[in-house]
Amino acid sequence: MIELAIHILLVTGLVISACMVWYMDDLISAAIAFGAFSFLLSLEFLVLQAPDVAIAEAGIGAGLTTAIFVIAIRGTDKKGGDASD
Amino acid sequence: MKNILQAGILAVCAVAFLVAGLGLSFGTPAYTDMDDYMLLHGQEETGSNNIVSGVVFDYRGFDTLGEATVLFTVVLGAGLVFRRLGKKEDEYEYE
Amino acid sequence: MSMSNLVRSGANILMPFILVFGFYIVVHGHLSPGGGFQGGAVIATAIVLLMVAYSCDEVCTSLSKNILKNSETLGLLLFIGTALFALTAGLAFFGNWILDTGPLFATPVAFGINPGNLNTGGIVPVLNIAVGIEVLGAMGLLILAMLGGMKGDGDAE
Repeated sequence: MIELAIHILLVTGLVISACMVWYMDDLISAAIAFGAFSFLLSLEFLVLQAPDVAIAEAGIGAGLTTAIFVIAIRGTDKKGGDASD
Repeated sequence: MKNILQAGILAVCAVAFLVAGLGLSFGTPAYTDMDDYMLLHGQEETGSNNIVSGVVFDYRGFDTLGEATVLFTVVLGAGLVFRRLGKKEDEYEYE
Repeated sequence: MSMSNLVRSGANILMPFILVFGFYIVVHGHLSPGGGFQGGAVIATAIVLLMVAYSCDEVCTSLSKNILKNSETLGLLLFIGTALFALTAGLAFFGNWILDTGPLFATPVAFGINPGNLNTGGIVPVLNIAVGIEVLGAMGLLILAMLGGMKGDGDAE
Protein backbone atom coordinates (compact mmCIF):
# COMPACT_ATOMS: atom_id res chain seq x y z
CA MET A 1 0.00 0.00 0.00
CA ILE A 2 2.81 2.38 0.85
CA GLU A 3 4.50 1.36 -2.40
CA LEU A 4 1.43 2.30 -4.42
CA ALA A 5 1.31 5.67 -2.64
CA ILE A 6 4.98 6.31 -3.52
CA HIS A 7 4.25 5.30 -7.13
CA ILE A 8 1.33 7.70 -7.41
CA LEU A 9 3.35 10.51 -5.81
CA LEU A 10 6.35 9.99 -8.10
CA VAL A 11 4.35 9.65 -11.32
CA THR A 12 2.29 12.73 -10.47
CA GLY A 13 5.50 14.63 -9.79
CA LEU A 14 6.90 13.44 -13.11
CA VAL A 15 3.86 14.72 -15.01
CA ILE A 16 3.90 18.04 -13.13
CA SER A 17 7.63 18.62 -13.70
CA ALA A 18 7.29 17.70 -17.39
CA CYS A 19 4.50 20.26 -17.74
CA MET A 20 6.70 22.80 -15.95
CA VAL A 21 9.46 22.20 -18.51
CA TRP A 22 6.95 22.97 -21.24
CA TYR A 23 5.36 26.05 -19.67
CA MET A 24 8.48 27.80 -18.35
CA ASP A 25 9.44 30.99 -20.19
CA ASP A 26 12.87 31.36 -18.62
CA LEU A 27 15.27 28.86 -20.13
CA ILE A 28 17.35 28.40 -16.97
CA SER A 29 14.16 27.60 -15.06
CA ALA A 30 13.21 25.07 -17.73
CA ALA A 31 16.63 23.42 -17.47
CA ILE A 32 16.33 23.17 -13.68
CA ALA A 33 12.82 21.74 -14.05
CA PHE A 34 14.27 19.16 -16.43
CA GLY A 35 16.84 18.30 -13.76
CA ALA A 36 14.03 17.80 -11.26
CA PHE A 37 12.25 15.60 -13.81
CA SER A 38 15.38 13.46 -14.18
CA PHE A 39 15.79 13.18 -10.42
CA LEU A 40 12.18 12.05 -9.98
CA LEU A 41 12.64 9.58 -12.84
CA SER A 42 15.71 8.11 -11.13
CA LEU A 43 13.69 7.73 -7.91
CA GLU A 44 10.99 5.95 -9.91
CA PHE A 45 13.61 3.57 -11.34
CA LEU A 46 14.83 2.91 -7.81
CA VAL A 47 11.30 2.10 -6.67
CA LEU A 48 10.93 -0.25 -9.66
CA GLN A 49 14.06 -2.14 -8.40
CA ALA A 50 16.50 -1.07 -11.12
CA PRO A 51 19.32 0.60 -9.17
CA ASP A 52 21.75 0.43 -12.12
CA VAL A 53 19.49 2.51 -14.31
CA ALA A 54 18.73 4.79 -11.36
CA ILE A 55 22.43 5.60 -10.85
CA ALA A 56 22.93 6.16 -14.59
CA GLU A 57 19.89 8.42 -14.77
CA ALA A 58 20.91 10.42 -11.70
CA GLY A 59 24.46 10.85 -12.99
CA ILE A 60 23.81 11.61 -16.63
CA GLY A 61 20.26 12.97 -16.67
CA ALA A 62 20.27 15.06 -13.53
CA GLY A 63 23.95 15.97 -13.48
CA LEU A 64 25.58 16.16 -16.88
CA THR A 65 22.57 17.09 -19.03
CA THR A 66 21.56 19.95 -16.73
CA ALA A 67 25.13 21.24 -16.74
CA ILE A 68 25.30 21.01 -20.55
CA PHE A 69 21.98 22.90 -20.83
CA VAL A 70 23.15 25.60 -18.41
CA ILE A 71 26.42 26.02 -20.31
CA ALA A 72 24.60 26.18 -23.66
CA ILE A 73 22.08 28.73 -22.34
CA ARG A 74 24.89 30.86 -20.93
CA GLY A 75 26.65 30.77 -24.28
CA THR A 76 23.61 32.02 -26.23
CA ASP A 77 20.92 34.67 -25.81
CA LYS A 78 18.69 34.42 -22.77
CA LYS A 79 15.36 34.99 -24.47
CA GLY A 80 12.89 32.15 -24.52
CA GLY A 81 9.60 31.65 -26.31
CA ASP A 82 8.94 31.49 -30.03
CA ALA A 83 11.43 32.55 -32.66
CA SER A 84 8.94 34.99 -34.23
CA ASP A 85 8.71 37.50 -31.38
CA MET B 1 -8.61 28.68 -27.08
CA LYS B 2 -5.14 27.48 -27.84
CA ASN B 3 -4.27 27.23 -24.16
CA ILE B 4 -7.41 25.22 -23.47
CA LEU B 5 -6.50 22.86 -26.31
CA GLN B 6 -2.97 22.47 -24.99
CA ALA B 7 -4.25 21.82 -21.47
CA GLY B 8 -6.67 19.22 -22.82
CA ILE B 9 -3.92 17.40 -24.72
CA LEU B 10 -1.73 17.49 -21.62
CA ALA B 11 -4.51 16.12 -19.44
CA VAL B 12 -5.18 13.26 -21.88
CA CYS B 13 -1.45 12.43 -21.99
CA ALA B 14 -1.22 12.57 -18.20
CA VAL B 15 -4.19 10.24 -17.75
CA ALA B 16 -2.78 7.79 -20.32
CA PHE B 17 0.63 7.88 -18.62
CA LEU B 18 -0.92 7.32 -15.19
CA VAL B 19 -2.99 4.39 -16.47
CA ALA B 20 0.04 2.86 -18.19
CA GLY B 21 2.24 3.41 -15.14
CA LEU B 22 -0.16 2.14 -12.51
CA GLY B 23 -2.50 -0.24 -14.30
CA LEU B 24 -0.12 -2.54 -16.16
CA SER B 25 1.81 -5.25 -14.36
CA PHE B 26 5.59 -5.39 -14.35
CA GLY B 27 7.96 -8.31 -14.18
CA THR B 28 6.19 -10.91 -16.31
CA PRO B 29 7.96 -11.15 -19.69
CA ALA B 30 6.72 -13.62 -22.29
CA TYR B 31 9.99 -15.38 -23.16
CA THR B 32 12.42 -16.08 -20.29
CA ASP B 33 14.79 -18.80 -21.53
CA MET B 34 17.89 -16.60 -21.81
CA ASP B 35 17.09 -14.82 -18.53
CA ASP B 36 16.77 -18.11 -16.68
CA TYR B 37 20.05 -19.42 -18.10
CA MET B 38 21.93 -16.26 -17.16
CA LEU B 39 20.44 -16.13 -13.68
CA LEU B 40 21.29 -19.78 -13.01
CA HIS B 41 24.79 -20.00 -14.52
CA GLY B 42 26.00 -16.40 -14.57
CA GLN B 43 27.73 -16.41 -11.22
CA GLU B 44 29.89 -19.47 -11.87
CA GLU B 45 30.63 -18.63 -15.51
CA THR B 46 31.58 -14.96 -15.14
CA GLY B 47 32.77 -14.98 -11.52
CA SER B 48 31.00 -11.77 -10.54
CA ASN B 49 28.31 -11.49 -7.92
CA ASN B 50 26.52 -8.65 -9.70
CA ILE B 51 24.72 -10.44 -12.51
CA VAL B 52 24.11 -7.22 -14.43
CA SER B 53 27.82 -6.51 -14.52
CA GLY B 54 28.50 -10.10 -15.54
CA VAL B 55 26.08 -9.84 -18.45
CA VAL B 56 27.31 -6.42 -19.57
CA PHE B 57 31.03 -7.14 -19.41
CA ASP B 58 31.24 -10.86 -20.09
CA TYR B 59 28.26 -12.26 -21.99
CA ARG B 60 27.65 -9.05 -23.93
CA GLY B 61 31.17 -7.69 -24.13
CA PHE B 62 30.83 -6.69 -27.76
CA ASP B 63 27.96 -4.37 -26.91
CA THR B 64 30.07 -2.63 -24.31
CA LEU B 65 32.91 -2.30 -26.81
CA GLY B 66 30.49 -0.69 -29.25
CA GLU B 67 29.25 1.64 -26.54
CA ALA B 68 32.80 2.74 -25.75
CA THR B 69 33.40 3.33 -29.46
CA VAL B 70 30.21 5.40 -29.69
CA LEU B 71 31.36 7.53 -26.75
CA PHE B 72 34.77 8.02 -28.37
CA THR B 73 33.09 9.10 -31.61
CA VAL B 74 30.83 11.52 -29.71
CA VAL B 75 33.85 13.18 -28.10
CA LEU B 76 35.62 13.35 -31.47
CA GLY B 77 32.61 15.00 -33.10
CA ALA B 78 32.10 17.47 -30.25
CA GLY B 79 35.77 18.42 -30.34
CA LEU B 80 35.51 18.91 -34.09
CA VAL B 81 32.40 21.12 -33.82
CA PHE B 82 33.49 23.22 -30.84
CA ARG B 83 37.09 23.84 -31.85
CA ARG B 84 38.37 27.39 -31.83
CA LEU B 85 38.60 28.76 -35.32
CA GLY B 86 40.15 32.14 -34.58
CA LYS B 87 43.56 31.15 -33.35
CA LYS B 88 46.04 29.44 -35.60
CA GLU B 89 48.02 27.69 -32.91
CA ASP B 90 44.94 26.14 -31.32
CA GLU B 91 43.37 24.91 -34.51
CA TYR B 92 44.06 21.24 -33.91
CA GLU B 93 43.75 21.44 -30.16
CA TYR B 94 40.86 19.02 -29.71
CA GLU B 95 41.74 16.45 -32.32
CA MET C 1 31.24 33.32 -16.21
CA SER C 2 31.85 33.30 -12.49
CA MET C 3 29.34 32.01 -10.01
CA SER C 4 28.70 33.50 -6.58
CA ASN C 5 30.64 32.65 -3.46
CA LEU C 6 27.88 30.38 -2.18
CA VAL C 7 28.04 28.12 -5.24
CA ARG C 8 31.83 27.90 -4.99
CA SER C 9 31.71 26.93 -1.31
CA GLY C 10 29.04 24.33 -2.00
CA ALA C 11 31.07 22.88 -4.86
CA ASN C 12 34.18 22.75 -2.65
CA ILE C 13 32.32 20.86 0.05
CA LEU C 14 30.42 18.49 -2.24
CA MET C 15 33.17 17.54 -4.67
CA PRO C 16 35.24 15.08 -2.52
CA PHE C 17 32.14 13.13 -1.54
CA ILE C 18 30.97 12.83 -5.16
CA LEU C 19 34.47 11.68 -6.18
CA VAL C 20 34.63 9.03 -3.46
CA PHE C 21 31.13 7.80 -4.33
CA GLY C 22 32.06 7.54 -8.01
CA PHE C 23 35.25 5.59 -7.32
CA TYR C 24 33.29 3.31 -4.98
CA ILE C 25 30.77 2.58 -7.72
CA VAL C 26 33.54 1.85 -10.24
CA VAL C 27 35.62 -0.42 -8.01
CA HIS C 28 32.66 -2.32 -6.54
CA GLY C 29 31.05 -2.75 -9.94
CA HIS C 30 31.11 -6.55 -9.81
CA LEU C 31 29.59 -6.74 -6.32
CA SER C 32 27.00 -3.99 -5.96
CA PRO C 33 24.69 -2.10 -8.33
CA GLY C 34 26.57 0.21 -10.63
CA GLY C 35 29.53 -0.35 -12.87
CA GLY C 36 32.03 1.45 -15.01
CA PHE C 37 29.62 3.59 -16.99
CA GLN C 38 27.61 4.81 -14.00
CA GLY C 39 30.67 5.43 -11.85
CA GLY C 40 32.44 7.29 -14.63
CA ALA C 41 29.37 9.46 -15.12
CA VAL C 42 29.30 10.27 -11.39
CA ILE C 43 33.00 11.22 -11.39
CA ALA C 44 32.42 13.35 -14.49
CA THR C 45 29.57 15.04 -12.62
CA ALA C 46 32.08 16.12 -9.96
CA ILE C 47 34.36 17.59 -12.63
CA VAL C 48 31.41 19.33 -14.28
CA LEU C 49 30.35 20.78 -10.93
CA LEU C 50 33.83 22.25 -10.58
CA MET C 51 33.69 23.65 -14.10
CA VAL C 52 30.27 25.24 -13.60
CA ALA C 53 31.20 26.78 -10.24
CA TYR C 54 34.55 28.17 -11.36
CA SER C 55 35.51 29.71 -14.65
CA CYS C 56 37.15 27.72 -17.42
CA ASP C 57 40.57 29.34 -16.98
CA GLU C 58 40.77 28.51 -13.28
CA VAL C 59 39.88 24.88 -13.93
CA CYS C 60 42.15 24.46 -16.93
CA THR C 61 45.22 25.44 -14.93
CA SER C 62 44.85 22.48 -12.58
CA LEU C 63 43.01 20.03 -14.84
CA SER C 64 44.61 20.06 -18.22
CA LYS C 65 42.97 18.78 -21.36
CA ASN C 66 45.79 16.32 -21.95
CA ILE C 67 45.00 14.46 -18.74
CA LEU C 68 41.43 13.80 -19.86
CA LYS C 69 42.54 12.91 -23.39
CA ASN C 70 45.14 10.48 -22.10
CA SER C 71 42.69 8.94 -19.63
CA GLU C 72 40.17 8.26 -22.40
CA THR C 73 42.82 6.72 -24.63
CA LEU C 74 44.20 4.67 -21.74
CA GLY C 75 40.73 3.38 -20.87
CA LEU C 76 39.98 2.27 -24.43
CA LEU C 77 43.40 0.63 -24.81
CA LEU C 78 43.04 -1.19 -21.49
CA PHE C 79 39.56 -2.37 -22.50
CA ILE C 80 40.58 -3.73 -25.89
CA GLY C 81 43.89 -5.08 -24.58
CA THR C 82 42.20 -7.01 -21.80
CA ALA C 83 39.71 -8.44 -24.26
CA LEU C 84 42.42 -9.31 -26.80
CA PHE C 85 44.75 -10.95 -24.29
CA ALA C 86 42.22 -13.73 -23.83
CA LEU C 87 43.23 -14.97 -27.29
CA THR C 88 46.73 -15.77 -26.06
CA ALA C 89 45.29 -17.86 -23.22
CA GLY C 90 43.38 -20.00 -25.67
CA LEU C 91 39.99 -18.50 -24.93
CA ALA C 92 37.57 -16.56 -27.11
CA PHE C 93 37.50 -12.77 -27.44
CA PHE C 94 36.29 -11.35 -24.08
CA GLY C 95 37.02 -14.70 -22.45
CA ASN C 96 37.53 -14.55 -18.70
CA TRP C 97 41.26 -15.35 -18.61
CA ILE C 98 42.03 -13.97 -15.13
CA LEU C 99 39.55 -16.23 -13.39
CA ASP C 100 41.25 -18.81 -11.11
CA THR C 101 44.78 -17.74 -12.14
CA GLY C 102 47.16 -15.33 -10.46
CA PRO C 103 46.83 -13.25 -7.31
CA LEU C 104 44.72 -10.32 -8.51
CA PHE C 105 40.93 -10.56 -8.97
CA ALA C 106 41.19 -14.35 -9.23
CA THR C 107 39.80 -15.78 -6.01
CA PRO C 108 37.10 -18.33 -6.85
CA VAL C 109 33.75 -16.78 -6.16
CA ALA C 110 31.49 -18.29 -3.52
CA PHE C 111 28.31 -19.49 -5.19
CA GLY C 112 24.91 -18.58 -3.97
CA ILE C 113 24.04 -15.57 -1.88
CA ASN C 114 27.21 -14.22 -0.26
CA PRO C 115 28.38 -10.85 1.05
CA GLY C 116 31.01 -10.63 -1.67
CA ASN C 117 34.79 -10.45 -1.89
CA LEU C 118 36.46 -7.58 -3.70
CA ASN C 119 39.23 -9.84 -5.02
CA THR C 120 36.97 -11.93 -7.27
CA GLY C 121 35.55 -11.49 -10.69
CA GLY C 122 38.26 -12.16 -13.26
CA ILE C 123 38.25 -9.59 -16.04
CA VAL C 124 35.01 -7.95 -14.91
CA PRO C 125 36.63 -5.50 -12.40
CA VAL C 126 39.40 -4.73 -14.90
CA LEU C 127 36.89 -3.89 -17.61
CA ASN C 128 34.87 -1.89 -15.07
CA ILE C 129 37.89 0.24 -14.23
CA ALA C 130 38.76 0.63 -17.92
CA VAL C 131 35.26 1.78 -18.84
CA GLY C 132 35.19 4.08 -15.80
CA ILE C 133 38.41 5.80 -16.85
CA GLU C 134 37.16 6.08 -20.43
CA VAL C 135 33.75 7.54 -19.54
CA LEU C 136 35.36 9.98 -17.10
CA GLY C 137 37.71 11.26 -19.80
CA ALA C 138 35.00 11.38 -22.45
CA MET C 139 32.45 13.33 -20.41
CA GLY C 140 35.03 15.76 -19.05
CA LEU C 141 36.41 16.35 -22.53
CA LEU C 142 32.89 16.95 -23.87
CA ILE C 143 32.14 19.65 -21.30
CA LEU C 144 35.63 21.15 -21.67
CA ALA C 145 35.19 21.33 -25.45
CA MET C 146 31.83 23.08 -25.03
CA LEU C 147 33.24 25.59 -22.54
CA GLY C 148 36.29 26.26 -24.71
CA GLY C 149 34.17 26.72 -27.83
CA MET C 150 31.90 29.12 -25.98
CA LYS C 151 34.77 31.16 -24.66
CA GLY C 152 36.22 31.55 -28.13
CA ASP C 153 33.25 33.64 -29.28
CA GLY C 154 34.56 36.97 -28.11
CA ASP C 155 34.28 36.07 -24.37
CA ALA C 156 30.85 37.67 -23.83
CA GLU C 157 30.56 36.81 -20.15
